[in-house]
Amino acid sequence: MRKSHPIRRVVLAGAATVSGIVLLLSLKPASDPASASAAGGAVPPAAAQESAQGGAQAAGQSTSTGDAAQTQYGAVQVRITVVGNKITKSEAVQAPQGGTSTQKTELAVPKLNAAVVAKQSPDIDTVSGATYTSEGYKKSLQSAIDKANAAASAAQPSQGASAPAQGAAASKTLTGTVAQTQYGPVQVRITVSNGKITKAEAVQAPQGGTSTQKTELAVPKLNAAAVAAGSADIDSVSGATYTSAGYKKSLQSALDQAGG
Amino acid sequence: MTTTLAGGRAARRQTMRRIRPRRSPAVPLVIALWAGAAAVLWLWWDNTPSLADNTAKILAAGRITGLLAGYLMALVVLQMARVPALERRVGSDRVARWHAMSGRYTVSLVIAHVFLITWAYALQAGKSLGDFVQQFMDMVTNLPDMGKAAIGTGLLVVIALLSVGGVRRRLPYDTWYHVHLLTYAVVFLTFWHQITTGNEFAVQPTAKTFWYGLYGIVTALVVWYRILTPLRLNLRHRMYVEAVIEETPGIVSVLIGGKKLHRMGAEAGQFFRWRFMAPGMRFSSHPYSLSAAPRPDMLRITVKAIGDHTARLRELRPGTRVWAEGPYGALTAQRRSRGKVLLVAGGVGITPMRALFETLPGASGDITLLYRANSTQDLALWDELATIADERGARLMYAVNSPDGERPDISAERLRQKLPDIDDHDVFLCGPPGFAQSVYDSLRDAGVPARRIHHESFEM
Repeated sequence: MRKSHPIRRVVLAGAATVSGIVLLLSLKPASDPASASAAGGAVPPAAAQESAQGGAQAAGQSTSTGDAAQTQYGAVQVRITVVGNKITKSEAVQAPQGGTSTQKTELAVPKLNAAVVAKQSPDIDTVSGATYTSEGYKKSLQSAIDKANAAASAAQPSQGASAPAQGAAASKTLTGTVAQTQYGPVQVRITVSNGKITKAEAVQAPQGGTSTQKTELAVPKLNAAAVAAGSADIDSVSGATYTSAGYKKSLQSALDQAGG
Repeated sequence: MTTTLAGGRAARRQTMRRIRPRRSPAVPLVIALWAGAAAVLWLWWDNTPSLADNTAKILAAGRITGLLAGYLMALVVLQMARVPALERRVGSDRVARWHAMSGRYTVSLVIAHVFLITWAYALQAGKSLGDFVQQFMDMVTNLPDMGKAAIGTGLLVVIALLSVGGVRRRLPYDTWYHVHLLTYAVVFLTFWHQITTGNEFAVQPTAKTFWYGLYGIVTALVVWYRILTPLRLNLRHRMYVEAVIEETPGIVSVLIGGKKLHRMGAEAGQFFRWRFMAPGMRFSSHPYSLSAAPRPDMLRITVKAIGDHTARLRELRPGTRVWAEGPYGALTAQRRSRGKVLLVAGGVGITPMRALFETLPGASGDITLLYRANSTQDLALWDELATIADERGARLMYAVNSPDGERPDISAERLRQKLPDIDDHDVFLCGPPGFAQSVYDSLRDAGVPARRIHHESFEM
């Protein structure tokens, strides 16, 4: 019959729980290593396999599955069906589930699928209210398209790897396309040297009313994040979701130009 | 001379053969509990690739607290499912303390979960903390099963508030108990949102199966041991009040008749939860120990009239139907590991000790009973105890206040003086909390190892 110390027990249990949860949270990386390497453009072995398959049936219909893009709500993975040079179908093999995520996935994925087939490019609009899912979708879509292209070019080996050589050139400035948001256009200009973003700035951003404030709040953060991440996979600034999404879209298009 | 010695030795050997100490399964159960908690955390860990920003971290903390709360909720209910392994091996008193402890912890986790998830979703939607309530209402109205979950959580908070020490003492036991039963509704109402909105369960089918399995098993155990087992017991044994006897002022014995009562599996030292089908008594059941070894046609409980319920026992009419659930309690001969036994009873704590005094196997001189009461008039069942002591060659001692009200000395020295080999005894202890604590301390000082002091205490 040990003496019980209720207060001590409550304090200990509370402290142990809080520190345990904080420890668990701090052990998780800020971004997923797998998705980071996928964004870096290295071709994982899976892609080689895919392309071999794709090559075998290059003449007719082929499917290509992109790398899974991790978002903070779960993985997004896109599979496209290509006939000839056209994407005839796009679908999400994986998408975030659970809580509001299920709703958002149900809302966004059909729209994104339709947009891909309509636009034939990864440059599709973010579905508002499902920013993360949309961004993940686009990233995985890009990788699916890259693989489909790789498979197609494998069939014609004469076209060698010319892009990497170009990437090694000196510093250059690239301006992305104008991304329309509901508060106004966003356009991003980046300076790239040796394949790295050394500077990012907004040429245009929403102005007027709260938009001015939001632009002032968000753009410097987004500029810094773009340089730090070296990709369009940057976090939205909370409170400036639309501006962030537009920024990312324009940034992506600038990066696409850089990639050749 | 030699024959008696040989006889004594043979008797001793026979006693030792009948002593089969059974370990309490408390340690493996606690290990299983931690393993389960680790598995639940793994569900989260495996499902979360990265945490991008503070919003994601808050959301993750909300999910962790939610998962743990869901897991513990099942265990808190399991602890009260009256599973024999818990009630008879770990001990009802200990399990009740676990229940209270884990219940409080679970409610805290639930509150943290609600707060963290709402906060994270509000941040995600770009809302300020001022829109907290609005965000909460959004979630409750828009997400599947969240309406039910909100009602369940509200109920849970009410139940928790009514169980806080000070409030509970002011509440009639019956009211508190029946409100407490609403926890089953809480578990039902809050279960579904875990499955439908819980990220881990939506994504991982194995996790979902695991969760259904956990709650399914707990439900099955509750139905089996809280409903079907008592139903069968009472249909089989059909108990009724045979007589009510006043032992000493304020202490009554109730004799209970029925069919094949020795087949109920009750051992000396155990108790049943009794419900008497008399006006004002049928809606609540109370735990009372058997004060004699069960006989085929009769059980006996002995109760001190302190509360409403115990006072009414005195007015029970013979023939009143009795509904019993049990037997429960781990203060039985199974706990014993030594040949010699000291039983210590304080006041009405004599009831299980009286039954053990009569039935514990032992040769002459092996069993000692120390009975503490305020005065010699308060030594209920004394005549019976004296008869048993005579028949078995057991020792019987009492300690009462001196005429000027001074308390008797039950110190380590005094105990060692009376029983020089006290450190080679198993001690069974039953009495009011203060008394039990002080005797426990004296026993430890006298050199009795903690694992050989067996006691039951229903103080939370």
